Amino acid sequence: MNIIKKYIPLTIVFIFGIITLASYYVPHRASDEYLEWINKWENIVSAFALFLGMISLFYSHYKKIQRKVDGWGYSLFVYIGFFIIMGAAILSEGDISKEGKLTYLGWSFNNIYNPLSATMFSVLAFFIISTAYRSFKIKSFAAFLLFICGLILMIGNIPLGEIIWDKVFGWTKLTIGEIKDWIISVPSTAGRRGIMIGIAIGAAVTSLKIIFGIERGYMGKE
Amino acid sequence: MDTQVSVILGAFVASGLTLFIFSFLYKDNPFFKIAEHLYMGVGLAWHIQLTIYKVIKPKVWEPLKLAWENGDTFTVWMTIIPAVLGITLVTQFIPKISWISRYGFTFLMGYAAGLALPAGLATDFSNQILGTIEPFANFFSLSPGRMINAVIILIGTVSVLFYFFFSVEHKGVVKKISNFGIYFLMIYFGASFGNTVMARFSLLYGRFDLLVRYSQKEYFYATNWIIVGLLIYFIAEKIVTNKLLKARS
Amino acid sequence: MKEKLNKILKLDRRYLFVLLTLSIVIPIIKPIGIPSKSISTSTKDTYNFIENLPEGSTIILSLDYDPSTAPELHPMAAAVLKHAFKKNIKVIILTFIAGSGGLIDELVRTIPPQYSKEYGKDYVVLPYMANPLAALTQMASDIHSFYDKDINNKPLKNYEMMKNIKNYKDVAGVIGITGTALLDYWVVYVGDKYGVPILGGVTAISQVGYGPYLQKKQLKGLIGGMKGAAEYENLISQPWKGTSGIDALNIAHILVIVFIIFSNIVLLILKFL
Repeated sequence: MNIIKKYIPLTIVFIFGIITLASYYVPHRASDEYLEWINKWENIVSAFALFLGMISLFYSHYKKIQRKVDGWGYSLFVYIGFFIIMGAAILSEGDISKEGKLTYLGWSFNNIYNPLSATMFSVLAFFIISTAYRSFKIKSFAAFLLFICGLILMIGNIPLGEIIWDKVFGWTKLTIGEIKDWIISVPSTAGRRGIMIGIAIGAAVTSLKIIFGIERGYMGKE
Repeated sequence: MDTQVSVILGAFVASGLTLFIFSFLYKDNPFFKIAEHLYMGVGLAWHIQLTIYKVIKPKVWEPLKLAWENGDTFTVWMTIIPAVLGITLVTQFIPKISWISRYGFTFLMGYAAGLALPAGLATDFSNQILGTIEPFANFFSLSPGRMINAVIILIGTVSVLFYFFFSVEHKGVVKKISNFGIYFLMIYFGASFGNTVMARFSLLYGRFDLLVRYSQKEYFYATNWIIVGLLIYFIAEKIVTNKLLKARS
Repeated sequence: MKEKLNKILKLDRRYLFVLLTLSIVIPIIKPIGIPSKSISTSTKDTYNFIENLPEGSTIILSLDYDPSTAPELHPMAAAVLKHAFKKNIKVIILTFIAGSGGLIDELVRTIPPQYSKEYGKDYVVLPYMANPLAALTQMASDIHSFYDKDINNKPLKNYEMMKNIKNYKDVAGVIGITGTALLDYWVVYVGDKYGVPILGGVTAISQVGYGPYLQKKQLKGLIGGMKGAAEYENLISQPWKGTSGIDALNIAHILVIVFIIFSNIVLLILKFL
């Protein structure tokens, strides 16, 4: 039983890991064909992973409704929102527009999904302003450096900032755009590069550990 | 769905949902909670219908049907196997047979690990090291500005790597170098912060632009009606809450 | 004095929200109209790349953003498309994000007629594909094996401009405009592997992170955020949403800077009181 539950899955990881790794370096038609098939497989398998999320979300909200916890009525809206979009998708057969005309799904995307999604992300802008006023405390040289670079980027990003800079620091013969460019392409690049190399090494080590079966957390309890 | 009615209805729905979420900034309220829960269901449904119509239907169902009709056993198996691996993922919720989900997860992990390793090493490791030392190949033919930039990038990259190297204790010279690396990280984070401000404000601009557009006559002043409705709610809620507090005291 | 200053620091954040709202809404209704002067090097590099392409070259324009990142990316996509058409460059438009359909539709409905460009002869639009990795690797050998039909479900091989396009060797470059990590895919699996020039358009958040790729020339050019879009519109002398957008954000940015400086000055005063 251990073979089916443990060793075959580990063999699957090893085989697919090694062949996918090798296909990157082997410049042969077979590599391209393998990648084509394996990408199709991954597409199909990860599509089913979404259903995991669906079951989990539905189950947790169903429990809330069943137990009539505080605010259980709102959980109904999860189902309402889900069935509105699914209904629109079924009626439109998954197309946003047909012959230049917006379908039910297209209308739902433009007027329901997009406003909800875009607004959720844009609310962060308000928290930026709140953080800038209440929490951005410059207490060390490092924090001061962070602030100065942020300030230069912010000033450099707006036309009004360019005018202010020219009026105050125009005598330096340096434009804010040039300083902003330099910060992004030199010291910021150095910082980012260090992080990238570190992440690449970490990712390589983790990938090798996964391929060779040393890292097995994704398999769940033994 | 391009009729005048659907356009105006769309304006009311879009500006309504947008303002419901923004109403949270004043205080938590039922409209925000409704929009929040709607978003969960809508977001999930959107991705599920994408999966069904753009992946499962064209890449599983239709090829399977065609291959079955043509007797193409190879394609049938090459479609059924990943579908079965995908279905095994769902068994995760049944504790007695959750071990079956390992087959799907191990395929995904093997594929992802095999793909990430060479790509990450080539692009984010060797190319980045090359980019750091390349200017030194013909260092003295560079302009003074480029020479200084090359040195700064080299010193910055090395000192940041020192900061992240935890196998050696950070004391003495190592500590000094890694502290210097922190400054380069702060410059990167500061630059990111400055651009994040613009990015988030750009999104906010997009939402406000939409709300201003939907406040026009051709959209039947949709935004204005929703704002008035929300104001009425908040004022009424405040009056009722004050009355209840007075009654209790 | 100390109490007053502490009260100022603990100001109800809803007042700050109102100030931010007004600082963006008022310029939308009544634009300030300050023109953007500076052009960043990476935006200029992207412009120069298209500007220096010989007439009749073909580029791939990968538009991978949805309406949530559209305020930043849609104006730069429009500007790049206008520039390409102005230079008589042929464009293959594709996408790996399902939500971009409506936005691409808007671009191809409004821009080609302005330059008398014909579908199939000057540009084609390929259908949405869920698997970018498969597309990127397959296009290296034969684009038609992966994209056999266009977005209108017609055979791709029948279009005039696609008759001489087989793979990346027949394409002058790729411009990926995205709010996701898809630009990294183009760099890793196409640029670094096959030597195809890759240029990008990204949100402002991601822009700083691409510094290393730009320095190593893995990316030949990059348009960053709404400012980048405004810069590109300035270069092609066609102001649109990028220019008006960045104009509307002037006061909001100044507000953030003023708040940070003000609160730190108050903290400094409190420290010495």
